[in-house]
Amino acid sequence: MNEQQRLIKETLHRLLTDLCGSDIVNQAEAGQFPQKLWDTLTETGLTVAGIPEASGGSGGDFDDSLLVIREAARFAAPVPLSEHFMAGLILSDHGASIGTDPVTVAAGDFSIDEQLRLQGSAENVAFARWCHQIVLVARSTSGLKLCRVNCADVEIVANNNMAGEPRDSVVIDVTLVPEEVFETDDAVLNKIRLLGAVTRCMMMVGALDSVLELSVQYSLERSQFGRPIAKFQAIQQQLAVLAGEVAASTMAGHAIVSSFDQLDELDIAIGKARIGESVSSCTDIAHQVHGAMGYTMEHSLNHRTRRLWSWREEYGNEREWQIQVGKAFLEGGADNLWDTVTNRR
Amino acid sequence: MFQGLTFEPFRLPEEAESIRGEVREFLKEELDQSVLPNSDFNAGDSAEFSRKLAAKGWIGMTWPKEYGGAGRSFLERYVVTEELLAAGAPVGCHWIADRQSGPLLLKFGTEEQKNRFLPQIVAGNYFFSIGMSEPDTGSDLASIRTSATKTEGGWLLNGSKIWTSYAHTNHFMVTLVRSEPASENRHAGMSQMIVDLNDEKVVVTGIKNLAGEEDFNQVFFDDVFIPDEMVVGTPGNGWEQVMSELGYERSGPERFLSAFRVLVEFAREIGNDPSDEQLALLGRLSAHLVTLRRMSISVAGMLESGKLPSTEAALIKDLGNSFERMVPEIIRLAVPGAASRRFVDTLNECILHAPSFTLRGGTREILKGVIARGLGLR
Repeated sequence: MNEQQRLIKETLHRLLTDLCGSDIVNQAEAGQFPQKLWDTLTETGLTVAGIPEASGGSGGDFDDSLLVIREAARFAAPVPLSEHFMAGLILSDHGASIGTDPVTVAAGDFSIDEQLRLQGSAENVAFARWCHQIVLVARSTSGLKLCRVNCADVEIVANNNMAGEPRDSVVIDVTLVPEEVFETDDAVLNKIRLLGAVTRCMMMVGALDSVLELSVQYSLERSQFGRPIAKFQAIQQQLAVLAGEVAASTMAGHAIVSSFDQLDELDIAIGKARIGESVSSCTDIAHQVHGAMGYTMEHSLNHRTRRLWSWREEYGNEREWQIQVGKAFLEGGADNLWDTVTNRR
Repeated sequence: MFQGLTFEPFRLPEEAESIRGEVREFLKEELDQSVLPNSDFNAGDSAEFSRKLAAKGWIGMTWPKEYGGAGRSFLERYVVTEELLAAGAPVGCHWIADRQSGPLLLKFGTEEQKNRFLPQIVAGNYFFSIGMSEPDTGSDLASIRTSATKTEGGWLLNGSKIWTSYAHTNHFMVTLVRSEPASENRHAGMSQMIVDLNDEKVVVTGIKNLAGEEDFNQVFFDDVFIPDEMVVGTPGNGWEQVMSELGYERSGPERFLSAFRVLVEFAREIGNDPSDEQLALLGRLSAHLVTLRRMSISVAGMLESGKLPSTEAALIKDLGNSFERMVPEIIRLAVPGAASRRFVDTLNECILHAPSFTLRGGTREILKGVIARGLGLR
């Protein structure tokens, strides 16, 4: 992390500490969009960094956008930063631009006819109810089309993931204006899948680091048998395992960021597989260290752990990505396995 | 702001990458195809192989030219060592001298010691062992009892060391001894001395490990005379010396590659018709391996820039050793039915050596203690 990123990180932490406390997360879960948090994050210009200014981005470097996504997840920020960034990238690829109102991405079954009547539905559309627009891919007789739909024209049925984050069902039957329909091809579907995995990886790394921080802190504060539980070897050894898994996940995340310009598919697959796998043992240890207190809705540990359990499933769980990694490593045959390892710079 | 353990991404520079092809070429030529390769650094030794490696300039390659070294970077050495391990080369003879004893002498040794030993290590003529553990001293290294008593022109050594790999074939052993009686400061009064393993008063007795091999030993000293010039650096400096060895000892590729050949044979076994289950397993383990390697290279980068990241090094060893233990245990269940002889032999070899992975160079319990200290828990 360079000096500028360190500065960004510190600024974000101050901002998120002020605007994204437990109360805000709880209120979002109860249905209230944290408008002020969204506006403030958007004003920094960091949420669409790396996207060309002509497309509504703030120029600069993708690393900054990914950093914001990671650090916001540390605070369980209940805003569609990832979706907005993904939508911005996809729109920009198609010569379109993005504004400051939140836009989400839907993966579902859609078709569009020659009169530009778009019909179809999708499940688990992140934050749809709070978004201004939805970006999606639809089939047509002349190939795939990228479509941008106003949420006001969409039937949205509220649904949540286990972290209480909006993962809505949408049903669409609307006729679009030509300006909202863009020529595209198969590659866009894979790009959405990859971007979805990248953003979930960043989010998991942020949340995992927060889980480690909370656990270390709690173990130093909580006393039993006359001393902080951090002084017991049994606890120390558990936290050492947690730290190891978090460090490995962070490194897998770094690798994705380093090769984000090329959207290296194998690094992304390795990341989603490795980071997703660490969720199980990390949440297990964190909850064990926190005892019954961590099992309550009141303690903010659950804001992180419930998100981790949700995010590891999104855009393909570990198994799906493990198979992809396995295929890549088997491709050159057993005697080239090592070469595949060392080609991961 | 909470700072966990930091592993900054680091990329091996081109100058380091450029040596890789040459090493692979060499290994293709020199490895005995009739011997099943084993990526455990402690599981194969060949003095002949080590000398050929020396002739290529790949032992002591980071050391200054004045002592016979090649003045190459630590990162170039990283590439050489990982290539050796991945190919399953028999590195046992020179491994400790190259990784540990040489750097120790470079950092703490006298000019005379550097001139006498380093060029010989570089040439593949001198092999070294580590003399730290004792029968009653394992993890609690400060409790050693082997003593050196001052005498005319040197020291008289009494006591014994244990688990000393290749003491029966190596030439010298850097031996941690108590050179002053134990005092309240447990870490004071220790020195490291270079013991000539061919000295007739040094008795080396082999210990059979559970795989049936005698690669480690117990070494006995009965009034063994150690000349003053064989004390590493200055007397009393022993504890500082052994602590500084650990950063290099714990973060290298040998801490996560010991089971690598099992992965290779698994890939061969599932071949052209893998099930999704097998692909997922290969993918899972490969994701672990690539990530561990990236962490290890990150630490190599820190070491190259002069930092001593001992907590990060301990973490790599702990995480890497857990991986090495996990690989054979889950792969064995993923090849149903008749497996090839080659696969079974590689797997069994790994299982038989696996208990040592999480003991040598610091037990997993000690390492986790180091990590806990780094987290501010102790």
